[in-house]
Amino acid sequence: MNILDQIGFEQHKEVFSIIGVIIGILILSTVIFYILGRLYPGEQTTELKRRTRSWWIMATIFITATVVHPIISFIAFGLLSFVALRELASISTNMRVEDRGVIIWCYLAIPVQYYLAYIGWFNLFIIFIPVLMFIWIPFILVIRGYTTRISSSMSILPTQLMFTVFSISHLAYLLSLPEIPNFNAGGRGLLLYVVFLTEMNDVFQFIWGKLFGRHKIIEKVSPNKTWEGFIGGLVSTIFMAYFLRFLTPFTAMESWFVGAIVGFAGFIGDIIVSAVKRDIGIKDTGSAIPGHGGILDRVDSLAITAPVFFYLVYNLHYA
Amino acid sequence: MIKKFTLRIIYLGCMRFFLKLIVGVKYINKRVLKEQKQFILVGNHNSHLDAMALMASLNWKQLPDTHPIAAADYFGGSGIKARISKFLINAILIKRSKDAVGEKPLDQMSKALSEGKSLILFPEGSRGEPEKMQEFHKGIGVLLTLHPHIPYIPVYISGLGKVLPKGERLLVPFDAYVTFGEASWVKYKEVESIVQEVHSQIIQLKDNFDKQYKPKKKENA
Repeated sequence: MNILDQIGFEQHKEVFSIIGVIIGILILSTVIFYILGRLYPGEQTTELKRRTRSWWIMATIFITATVVHPIISFIAFGLLSFVALRELASISTNMRVEDRGVIIWCYLAIPVQYYLAYIGWFNLFIIFIPVLMFIWIPFILVIRGYTTRISSSMSILPTQLMFTVFSISHLAYLLSLPEIPNFNAGGRGLLLYVVFLTEMNDVFQFIWGKLFGRHKIIEKVSPNKTWEGFIGGLVSTIFMAYFLRFLTPFTAMESWFVGAIVGFAGFIGDIIVSAVKRDIGIKDTGSAIPGHGGILDRVDSLAITAPVFFYLVYNLHYA
Repeated sequence: MIKKFTLRIIYLGCMRFFLKLIVGVKYINKRVLKEQKQFILVGNHNSHLDAMALMASLNWKQLPDTHPIAAADYFGGSGIKARISKFLINAILIKRSKDAVGEKPLDQMSKALSEGKSLILFPEGSRGEPEKMQEFHKGIGVLLTLHPHIPYIPVYISGLGKVLPKGERLLVPFDAYVTFGEASWVKYKEVESIVQEVHSQIIQLKDNFDKQYKPKKKENA
């Protein structure tokens, strides 16, 4: 039997092509930065090499978690939410110290939310955090009986849950979407599509900004963000969304639109986390990923693109 | 034998996994440990987890021969408690009060060092307020004058005081960092100066750490 048949290449050729594209890009950038490092040794190229190495690791984990088995994907995204929430809870300075116990409730919401995604109970999945936890967390805070500065804890805890758990769990829910006719790639294809677009949008905004960046967009929040980087990234993302639309049920017109929305949403997520970091007075949210900072520094844009993309595709093709 | 085996199973099998994945402990500059055979780890103390986090950073060989120093009046209250801390934390229990009978704490520690064991010491004594450092006790200075050939490794632990502070029972996962300094040998002969030296090394680790990870004061707050 042919090796291609054994791994089911024909049935999953969309998924295999995008994985090929990802690995190709990684190899290409590794080679480019290796040559650049030889030509212009210095701090900047070392930093780029370190980043690429981290990209290799992240891509490997992501592809493995996506391809091997759905249960592994749900556990992996649950862990991602957990680590991101822990990071956000650790850096926030405006929560009351006495409320540390309430964070346990936030952590406990993670397995529930991902279980709902796994069994595909859509109606409860979309209200569990924005409605139920939104009531439960303030309730727990109130019955503890101390009202001084309670509003800081009341506002920050549900927001953290929304940003790290509710948002990211939509990536996992993509895998629970029902099959629709004439669309082979399925939830896996959609998941690879949105994560690839979001991360490449970040990379392209960075590249265009480094090459041509002159005019700052929002200097007081994020001094490295420029109009040239933003527009360059947006246009690149629209093109990628168009060429990779074989992973999705989108028509050509829809894919242009989705690309633009993902590019813009990614930018929004990026500057939200930048603003929070600036308020707290830190540069990175942690040290989990060498060259990138913390987990939040990497999933910031994903936290916004995931739900936006999910409801776009849901309402266009599944509702 | 059984004890060595259990310790390795607990720390290398479960504890390290639990601390890194669930609690969120990150080790910085851990390679320092590999380069030394015998050492005294000196750290700041905020949580019961401190000793466990340090134990979990050791390797297969070092683990059974490294003993955290714990207070007998706290951990050795009843017979069972003492046995558990000796067995599970590999602790050497010392009596804190001056008029206690039996072996003197410093003799106990010095003996262990002479036998080739490594120690984990928290010279602040008690854990104190979360994330605040207190004055150092002199024991570390005396110990290092007696054993000047044994290196000490300063450690700064940040965040575990939030995970499990003094007086709390509920463990809440937060990011925590364990930063190892370089191994050093004492430069002075006087106890006071040695305590000062160790203290300032840990403070320096703390300053470097804060520069990178802790919130800075805002310019226009």
